[in-house]
Parts: sequence; C-alpha cells; structure tokens
Amino acid sequence: MQIAVSGGKGGTGKSTVAINLAVELAKRFKLVLADLDVEAPNDHLLLGVDLANEEPVNQFMPRFDYSKCTKCRKCAEVCEEHAIITLKDGTPFLMPTLCSGCRACEIVCPVPGAILEGSRLIGHTYVTETHYGFTLVTGKLREGEERSMPLVVEAKRRARNLDYELMMVDTAAGTGNTVSKAIEGSELLIAVTEPTPLGIHDTELILQLGRLMNLKTWVVVNRADLGDVGRVREIAGRYGAEIVAEIPYSESIVKSYVSGRPIVLEEVPEAEIFRELAEKVANFLGGDE
Amino acid sequence: MQVAIASGKGGVGKSTITASLLYLLKDRYKLIAVDADAEAPNLGLLLGVEEWEEEREHFGAKVARINPESCVRCGICYERCPYECIYMDDEGNYVVNELTCEGCNVCGLVCPVPGTITLEQVRSGVIRRATTKYGFPIISAQLDVGKPESGKLVTEEKEWAKKLMDELNLEHMIVDSAAGIGCQVIASLGGADVAILIAEPTPASLSDVQRAYKVVQHFREPAYLIINKADLNPGFTKLGEWAEAEGIPVIGEVPYDRAIPKSMAMLKPVVEVFPESPASKALKEIADVIAEEILG
Repeated sequence: MQIAVSGGKGGTGKSTVAINLAVELAKRFKLVLADLDVEAPNDHLLLGVDLANEEPVNQFMPRFDYSKCTKCRKCAEVCEEHAIITLKDGTPFLMPTLCSGCRACEIVCPVPGAILEGSRLIGHTYVTETHYGFTLVTGKLREGEERSMPLVVEAKRRARNLDYELMMVDTAAGTGNTVSKAIEGSELLIAVTEPTPLGIHDTELILQLGRLMNLKTWVVVNRADLGDVGRVREIAGRYGAEIVAEIPYSESIVKSYVSGRPIVLEEVPEAEIFRELAEKVANFLGGDE
Repeated sequence: MQVAIASGKGGVGKSTITASLLYLLKDRYKLIAVDADAEAPNLGLLLGVEEWEEEREHFGAKVARINPESCVRCGICYERCPYECIYMDDEGNYVVNELTCEGCNVCGLVCPVPGTITLEQVRSGVIRRATTKYGFPIISAQLDVGKPESGKLVTEEKEWAKKLMDELNLEHMIVDSAAGIGCQVIASLGGADVAILIAEPTPASLSDVQRAYKVVQHFREPAYLIINKADLNPGFTKLGEWAEAEGIPVIGEVPYDRAIPKSMAMLKPVVEVFPESPASKALKEIADVIAEEILG
C-alpha cells in the first residue's frame, strides 16, 4: 500500500505532516517513508537522523567512438533535449548537462559500438533506519543537475525493494510531472495546505492533480488560525476532498521542527491532532477490518 | 542588471520579501518582475494582479501516445521507458501516463510497428504579462498540472522579460525563483548578475540554501543572504556562521512579524500596508543596501 503527502506550494508543512504521520503509523504498519523532494530533502533533519547507506545514482551518457562513427547525425536528430550537437561534417558532440540519459541516441545509432556506455553521477539515494521503528528512503539530486525525475524514479524503486506494508511518500513542492511520479501508485493523497490566499491558490492545483490521477484526496489545513479555512473548505468541496485535520500555528511545532524531534512524541495538544489523523488514515487503509 | 532571488527551500518568505523589495525600489529604478516559480506562481497575487493583459500558451512539452489499433502488445516500450511511464490498462492495452511522461521518445524508437507510438506536442502551460498597480510590469507563468519542462517555461519568461526591458527601456530584472535546485532554479539563476539568497534559521532551510548556493557557484555569480524570521530560533547560529565561512555578505535580517501574514491576506506588500512594523523597517534597510551595493 502507498499513500502520498503533497501540497502544491513549498513551506506549507508537508514534511511536518509526513514525519509525524509516519511515526504514528509505524506503530500499526511496517512502514517506509520515501522523501521524494529530491531537490530539497529534509525529512531526515526533521527526524534527527543522519543519512545512511548512500548509493550513487548514475545516469547513462553517450560516449562517441569517433573511429566508428559514420557521422550520420541520427543521434542528434532523435535527441529531444538537443543535447547532441553536430559539426558541419556531422561529427557529434554531447552537451552533458542537457542529456537526460534516455538512450534514444544509442537506440538509433546504426553502427554497433559507435556509441559507448558513459555515465554521470546525478545524485544519491539513502536508506536510513530512524529511531521510530520505520525506514526512511531519501533521494537527493546533486547540485547543478536539472532533472529530478530520474532521482524520484530511483529513490522510489529503492523504497519499493524494501520489505514494508505501507509506503508513505513525501513529495516536492509544485504540481509538475515529478510530483505526479512521486504520487503515482498511491491509494490516498493527503494535500497539506495553509488557509492564506497563496496557499488556497496552490491547493486548487494539487486538488486538480489528485482529480487527474483519480485519487482519493484529503486536505490537512496547517496554520489553520492564520487565515480563512472556509475558503479552503469551499475549494476542497468542489473537488470532493474532505478536510481531515486542522493544525493551529504553534510554537511547539516550530520548536520540534528545529530540534529534530517529531511533535507527536510530546504530550501537547498538537500531538493529539496527528494521532487522530493517523487513526483516520489507518482506518481508511484497513477498510472494514 | 538581472537579480535572481532563491532559497532552495519553499515557504521561507521569498515571494513576500521580493514583493516588498520591488515596492521599495520601484521609484528609484525602472524594474521588471519575473515570477519564475512556474509550478506555484504567487508573486502576481502578492502584487495584487487581478487580470493578465497578455497570455501566451507554451507548447514546449511532448508526450508519447500509443495507438491501441496497431499496437501488437509486445511490451518493448513498457520495458524500455526510462521513467516507468508506460503501464497496461484493464483491457490489456499499453498506455502512456501523460502525467509522468518526459517526452524522450524512447518508446517510439523501440516500437517495432511504425506509426504506433507518436510523440505529440502538448501545451505545457501559459506565460502571462501584466502591469502591476505599482507601475512596473510582471511576467509570470503557470505550468499545466502534471507537465514536464517547467525550466523551459522559465527560460521563455526571461526572454520575454528581456524584450520588454529593451522596448520599455527598463534597468533591472528581479527574478523570484522556485523552491528546490532543479531546472526552474537553474533557469532562474542562469544569466543573472547577482543572486540574493533567502533563508530562515532552521536546519532544513540551512541545508536547502547551502544546496542553492552550490548552484549559484556553478554560475559564478556573487551571492548575498537575507535572513528571514531571524528571531525564530535564537539558539541556531549555524546559518550566520555558514554565510561568514563562505564569504556571503548578510544584507539584512527580517524579524518574525505577524504583520507579514496579515499583509499577505490583504495581497499587498507588508511595506505598503504596515510600513511601521518591525519587518517593514528591516526591509527598508535591506532595500537601501541593495540599492547602494548591488543596483548602484
């Protein structure tokens, strides 16, 4: 089973919701949390753990054997990223940062051995045991790399290969195709939002994505006392999404965020909100059991 | 001059600060604002833009489609898709998930039946222009939900902004970039003269701004730092220490101030509606430093 935590805009509290839910749900399920915000992964900081079991993610990059290349230009023609340029005589050159590693050039090259296997390090994945009975998988894009899609795919693959009953994914901000890749396969999408005009604007986008993906979607309103929850309810209603929790702005949450100790472990009223939310998720996943 | 504002982490106040700086600098310079967060554009909202004067659709994205009539269901496309975007539907047809397709066309190249898989150009989003009520123009973009190529939208935005700068004889482009360090941020920082980084004193924000700074270093642009919500976390000194160690000048600290969420709810820059609030006073000092040290 898989559920996703996302939110459209950055900074709405996705990771806070994801890690606290994970701590609670780990009591009921063998759980893996996948931090697929590969451009800015932070769940390990919020959980107070150091990333472990690093594995490199290498991307295919063509290397040309110029002694065999017939300068037919086919590789450059099929490259959708225009990463291969050719000289006047047809000699191909690669611009590495544009290359997406898709292998289209290799597929069309008519001369065996003219395109050789090269690779470039584009990031890392990590598998970290947390203190809370669940495993954290993290994808981390290397600085300067443009494409987060391969890292999202690779981190998700690594998570899938672990032994778990429930995988939770924490996505990046936005609603582009890497967010849909992270969410793909989920039975439930939890959209974290805040009731500010900006938060409301972006909530609509994530709800659109949920609808396009045919996903059951719940809304968690963070910093609920800093705005107009009625407007969030109105938009959520339009998309058939239910508001399942309202979290007030809280100094305790800020402190837990900074100290790397999830709030759900403390005896404060805010912790109760996360426990109830976890209960709700567990009931949803457990069906009528 | 082109100034890019980045943070790595979302939600640290990038757009709020950008809107205020634009407001404070608009009378001193001829500016253009670019909202380079194409997946969650907010700067236009914060500057009270209600209607866009011009909208251009962008068809940069491509997605693959499989014709079920001629498909022989060999599954080669499914095996070779580098991003696992092809699946089999309930009727046993191979289908491309358009919400995750990167448009690389590998499936089309490996398909043994010519014409079965085609790469189609689809709309990836829109780019928009408006004149804010403060007199300066803004360019913004909105990526369609589930589409690739947000970086290309940002590149297009900046090209449009450059043309407008020439036409209207403008001096400075202020680019508000997206969260993260990926294609949108690289497109925001590429070609900028100066980067202004915004961070808050939390471990997560420090980690993300350090990553954003590495991207800035790729472009060899001078960087400056603004610390937002500076009093949020008094024991946390690592942000300032990092900036000092890297030689990044801190051009100001903005305190946590309830006036900011209030101004956001009003969709106005805080410096306009609460000019005497502590945050506004700090922002005024920062605008002066930017005017003196960066824009000249």
